[in-house]
Amino acid sequence: MAEELRAIARRWLYTTNHKDVGILYLITSIFLFAAAGVLALTMRTQLSVPGNTLLTADIYNQFVTVHGMLMIFWVLSPLAFGFANFIIPLQIGARDLAFPATQRDELRFFLFSGVMMILSFFFGAAPDLGWTLYSPQTASLFTPTVGFNLGAGALILMTVSITMSSVNFLVTMLKMRAPGLKLRYMSAFSWAILITIFMMLYAFPSFLAAVVLLYVDRAFGTVYFSSIQGGSLLWDNVFWFFGHPEVYIVLFPALGIIADVIPTFARRPLHGRKYVIGAMVVVAMLSFAVWGHHMFVTGIGIVSTKLYTVTTIAISLPFDVMIISLIETLGMSKLRLKAPALFALGAVANFIVGGITGVFLASVALDYSLRGTYFVVAHFHYLMVGASIIGLIGGLYYWFPKITGRMYNEKLAKIHFVISMIGFQILYFPMFLLLDMPRRVVTYTPDTGWGLLNLTATLGGFIFGGAQLLLFYNLYRSSRVGPPSGPNPWEAWTLEWALPSPPPPHDFDVIPTFLADGSIRFGSGPSLPNGAGHSEIGYPNGSSVLVGSSSSHLEGLSPWPILMAFAAFIFFLGLTIGKHANPQPVSYQPFWPLIADGVILGVISLFGYSRETFTVHEDTHVESWPFRQVPNMKLGIWTFLGAEVIFFGVLIGSYFFVRTNDAAWPQAGTLFDIRNGFAMTLVLLTSSLTAIMALASARAGNRSGLIASLGGTLVLGAAFLYIKAGEWFSLGASNVFQNYSLPASSYFITTGTHGVHVFAGMCMTVYLLANAIKGKYVNGDHTTLEHFGLYWHFVDIVWVFLFPLFYLI
Amino acid sequence: MAVSSTQVQFDSLFGLFTYLAFAVGIVVFSFLIYLVIKYREKPSSRQPEDTPILGKAPQTRGHVRTVLLTLTLSTIIIVPLIAGSFGAIENILTPPQNVCQGCAIEVTAHQFYWQFTYPNGTKPYQIRDTLRVPVGEDIRLNVNSADVFHDFGIIGYDIKTDAIPGRTNTIWFTPDVTGNFTIQCFELCGTGHATMKGILMVMSQAAYFSWYNSTVVH
Amino acid sequence: MNTNYLYLIIFAALIGETDIEVNLSSIIPAYNEYVTVLLGIAGTKAILIAMFYQHLRYEPKSLSTWVIVGLVIASLLMGLSFVQLHVGH
Repeated sequence: MAEELRAIARRWLYTTNHKDVGILYLITSIFLFAAAGVLALTMRTQLSVPGNTLLTADIYNQFVTVHGMLMIFWVLSPLAFGFANFIIPLQIGARDLAFPATQRDELRFFLFSGVMMILSFFFGAAPDLGWTLYSPQTASLFTPTVGFNLGAGALILMTVSITMSSVNFLVTMLKMRAPGLKLRYMSAFSWAILITIFMMLYAFPSFLAAVVLLYVDRAFGTVYFSSIQGGSLLWDNVFWFFGHPEVYIVLFPALGIIADVIPTFARRPLHGRKYVIGAMVVVAMLSFAVWGHHMFVTGIGIVSTKLYTVTTIAISLPFDVMIISLIETLGMSKLRLKAPALFALGAVANFIVGGITGVFLASVALDYSLRGTYFVVAHFHYLMVGASIIGLIGGLYYWFPKITGRMYNEKLAKIHFVISMIGFQILYFPMFLLLDMPRRVVTYTPDTGWGLLNLTATLGGFIFGGAQLLLFYNLYRSSRVGPPSGPNPWEAWTLEWALPSPPPPHDFDVIPTFLADGSIRFGSGPSLPNGAGHSEIGYPNGSSVLVGSSSSHLEGLSPWPILMAFAAFIFFLGLTIGKHANPQPVSYQPFWPLIADGVILGVISLFGYSRETFTVHEDTHVESWPFRQVPNMKLGIWTFLGAEVIFFGVLIGSYFFVRTNDAAWPQAGTLFDIRNGFAMTLVLLTSSLTAIMALASARAGNRSGLIASLGGTLVLGAAFLYIKAGEWFSLGASNVFQNYSLPASSYFITTGTHGVHVFAGMCMTVYLLANAIKGKYVNGDHTTLEHFGLYWHFVDIVWVFLFPLFYLI
Repeated sequence: MAVSSTQVQFDSLFGLFTYLAFAVGIVVFSFLIYLVIKYREKPSSRQPEDTPILGKAPQTRGHVRTVLLTLTLSTIIIVPLIAGSFGAIENILTPPQNVCQGCAIEVTAHQFYWQFTYPNGTKPYQIRDTLRVPVGEDIRLNVNSADVFHDFGIIGYDIKTDAIPGRTNTIWFTPDVTGNFTIQCFELCGTGHATMKGILMVMSQAAYFSWYNSTVVH
Repeated sequence: MNTNYLYLIIFAALIGETDIEVNLSSIIPAYNEYVTVLLGIAGTKAILIAMFYQHLRYEPKSLSTWVIVGLVIASLLMGLSFVQLHVGH
């Protein structure tokens, strides 16, 4: 018995199998959905009658903030990614995700970030200024609580997890599809996930930069968000540049599920499939150009407000195409109204209401009345709950048989649907009528007349929340005693239904092949065995074992991911929980025991990682347009650099923003010694030369040239940091920056972040140098050097811009 | 009943949006419900010919005509929405240059109250919580904040603007009836956010100006 | 051409451009013009590093397209914020 428990614990703690990871995401997010839902019901109870005293304003503000953050970051996306992890490799016939090593980290970082967010309640107060964290009320001056810093740390950890996922999934979906699975044959759900990840890749770095800047402001006294040159509008811009794509990020997976489910249950293909997918792509691109509608009444000027009105109203057009196509799919169909279909259709219905009311809010003129009211709350809950959650629940019922091998109770599910939909309308529709009531208020007075609508909404909330108990019960009980479902209870066409339910650990015995006429070949035959074309060891029976790791979940266990994530968690705790004796203006108080533990554990984990073989699948027979000739790792690195471009773009953009708003900025030459900047530029450019020479030496088999070049790169990197450190010390000590000013903030933050990247590069150089001395890289195995170079040259390019921006203008 | 110029403008634009929203909503919902009812599986249902089955990618279905029709209709619907919005925002963002003496008031947001400053004579008159204005006159408000990001809104007037430290945002309106209206903060600014209220007291012109003149310090 | 030789030429160009940047303020006195040209030169340096050191010139077009997509999105942030700050107040 103990042996069994140990085995179970080992499996779930250490698993690297995409299906197990998916299940863990699903369970975690369902649990957090319940937790955030309880927060919501408590708030609704508080608001049910005027003048209620169940919650104080202090607690209410924390509840409303954590409710929002949990739902958006720790429920909606992970629920979607639970499905993505489980289903996508099956739907596209990939053997695994592209980077199994990072895949294991993503889940654990995510788990610990959730723990950190919940811990924040216990350190003074959780973040309490809305999930949108507007400035300058988030500055230390106004919100000195330590819990806030923990919340920031949690968000940073979560974003790290998300960025790793984005790179991993993008490369997987672009480069590891089954033979013949052209992009146009990919299912709607897969497309939706691909587009979601694309948005995630470019939106989250902006959020990361914003939260890092906020944390640095609070801990180290920089003034980006507390100054009037930066402050409210700077935060608004960098937050909402992320925030708007984010709302589509939490919506699209559900839309993808709906677009898979409706055709399956209507027994007809999706109407206008390529236009639906095209519409999703258009929305994804446009989503980065509408964020100003969250700033309509901030005073950005008539040109900008008109511009954003147009882009935001226009973004409704592709959604119109999607919804009409989904409805048209029902035409001349044979519609089985089972639970997944009911939830999909219910989601469409709610989406129509939510989308139409979005058009109201897209008008800057109407926004001058509707901004900050419950009309907005109703609008986004119709979409985030009504479309997204309802759609995701549809996905839960849809894929439950595949994941567990058992069928849920259909009757109970239908009851769940009816009660949920009714409860939902009673909960949220009254909020449209509360278009004079401000958001995020702990209470209101009787004379407003808002009491009846609020009471109605609260009743609806309890009905809707209570109905979810039916879901939890149904899923739990059916997973234990539900009738076996068989591989394809819905008679669907997507590839996951070709596998047994639940699928075996290694997924397909033989990866399916798509033929030119659209037919799909399964099973034995001239199609390719799992792992064929791969350069690792292949066995005659078609299965393959990758050197150093395994495709079986039982053997792919590794303790390092959870240790690494735990190390990061401890490290961030150490950074954020220290309470400074005198917290104005600098509140940073490192808690060294935890920081040291985190670093030590992190180093041990990294060492453990390096002992494992980091295998990146490179198959030759998979479908990989348009990146057929680009190896997976290289594509992964370039994808990651794309995220870095946004990250540094926000840092540099913030510098521009505050500088533009500050008429009294010191002139060029007064703050910095141009000679320092010039020297650093020369040093770093030369290090790029030595880096490329290292690669050239390795290619030519020239071991001594390689070692000299790598050594040179290391020395030059150190020289750069040495000059930079000297400059930091002399600027910090002198009075040339009046303390904590904007020029100081922008300089230290931007060059500091860049310096951290240089340091990371130097750590990599040390590792490469050690290997080079051992004789590696000169025998045709130089790709690692190439990949390092990509990163190093990027860091150089960032400096190429920082030099003129700080020293010369 | 007209309460203020801003409310009248909002109601008419909101009315346009609501009318079109219901029209679109009713059409789309009817279409959805009709298809669900008509094509739900019954014993008499025919099996479609292009049912996607495992082993074959689904057939293409649908025509670009539907997309073009959807886009065209959508564009036709949104054009008046955009045009109406443009007209309205131009009105909102061009406050009158000349307002009466005592009709240009500075509004400052604090945690957690509103402060109003009437520039008059040598000493601007500051008052908390109650904003007095005369009915029938154009009123111009310059809104800013002394500490954090707030939002100044007048319930019933359908107008608000953000109160941001370091910035001044101007809104304007013409009150149409006398009476008291609630001013409230519409951006979460801290623990006192819900209680950050004020009163817009719209007075008759005679009453207002006699009050205003009594505040002037010579 | 011998690639090592190419790398050295690119390096020389980068150093040369840096030299120009440092002296540019005396060549172009008008501030806005100066900043524009300065950032333009920085941009060309970045392009040289990307094309030759990061090897983009010799990679499949799909990869450089992928890179450009990221740059376009970053420029949306910069561009629309620029409009917000400078246009139509």
